[in-house]
Amino acid sequence: MMSKEFDNILDECLERLLVKGETIEQCLQSYPEQAAELEPLLRTALATGKAVDFQPRPEFRAKARYQFRSALREMEGGSRRSLFGWFPRWATSVAIVLVVLVAGSGTVAAASNSMPDSPLYSVKLTTEQVRLTLTPSPLGKAEFCASLADRRIEEILYAAGKGNPRQVEEVTRELDVCLTRLSSLASTQGEKGGVMLAPTPTPAPAEVAPESTDGGERTYSHGNNQLKLKLALKHHAQSHPAALREKLKTVPPATRAALLRAIAVSEDGYEKVLKTLD
Amino acid sequence: MQNEESLVQRARQHDQEAFAQLYEEYFDKIYRYVAFKIGDRTEAEDMTQQVFVKALRSISSFRWKGRPFSAWLFRIAHNLIVDYLRKRSRRAAVPLAEPMPAGDGDPQQAAEQRLDIDRLALATRQLTEAQREVISLRFAGELPIAQVARVMGKNEGAVKALQHSAIAALRRALRTQDNDE
Repeated sequence: MMSKEFDNILDECLERLLVKGETIEQCLQSYPEQAAELEPLLRTALATGKAVDFQPRPEFRAKARYQFRSALREMEGGSRRSLFGWFPRWATSVAIVLVVLVAGSGTVAAASNSMPDSPLYSVKLTTEQVRLTLTPSPLGKAEFCASLADRRIEEILYAAGKGNPRQVEEVTRELDVCLTRLSSLASTQGEKGGVMLAPTPTPAPAEVAPESTDGGERTYSHGNNQLKLKLALKHHAQSHPAALREKLKTVPPATRAALLRAIAVSEDGYEKVLKTLD
Repeated sequence: MQNEESLVQRARQHDQEAFAQLYEEYFDKIYRYVAFKIGDRTEAEDMTQQVFVKALRSISSFRWKGRPFSAWLFRIAHNLIVDYLRKRSRRAAVPLAEPMPAGDGDPQQAAEQRLDIDRLALATRQLTEAQREVISLRFAGELPIAQVARVMGKNEGAVKALQHSAIAALRRALRTQDNDE
């Protein structure tokens, strides 16, 4: 009975200590008769509480939050039927082509270099989707996706430089879609015993790989083969997160969280792609 | 945080914002609980994400019925830990990739905390499984005693007694370490 009473007192003191932030002395004053027995236990409890008060790494927190939000969106998306969901895939492509044609080839050309703060940016994304849809071979699609990832990094750097976290977030979502598609293209090739999973020769020296993200747009559609794509992806897996991390040093505090998420998405995305390739 | 029961009800109806609030409320606690139990940062990070993904997938099956959301969430974490430890014990003793996390701030403080965590981890080996669970849920998971009782499927009186014996055993183990040094 006495022991039960002491268990209750100990628990009450722990609540006061750990949750309400009271001191050990305040607790002991409330229970002078039990003070001698209570004090050492409370000191051990306090030390235990302090020892386990570790925080998740900020990069992990940002990455986990982003992935969780994406999972939430996917679940939400899965429970709804999109407009395009009613049409066969070819009809969707035709619809997009028509939209682009209506928008006019001059507009499309002007949009190709637009950044996320431009009114033409959505035209750029639509044009990319059309081109991706109309690219016949999986390797061609993968090459184009790799170049799109490169563009997205440039756009994230641009939006971060402008101190616009919302746009950083939006482009990061596009980057995530792009890297996920790349990973899935690589695994599809693997299942078919295809080209992308062929054994990789010894990695080439750095100069064989494309330049880093500040070197303007690059595409892989002319005369590049699978090996070049693999090398490019390996290079991007290093250079893209590195460029974003470098930018982190100069962005305003309000943009840091969004940029950290972009780093996490980029690291995680390339890790998955390279795992599939290996 | 808004009333938890109403948040859970909204989350069950696929309200993204409600689930996101629950996630923010419990993320650190679940991470600390998992990391303290398995002692490996990389695995703890993976497992923390798994806990929330599992919760997200099965939230529609959750019924309040007096068992709080936290108890349900920590039960998911507990089950994943049990599976993980079972698999790990089947494998040969592999050195942990990255040991228990310490703080990420001041290096001096992080080193001291690292020492505290190591000592604590060693001391908890002297505890029974039930005592370890109480310490993990109460201190790393920051759950009140009533919720610890729900997770462990025991009554509050029994958990308070376990808490008492666990802290006393920890104290003895830490004193033994001090005497050995």
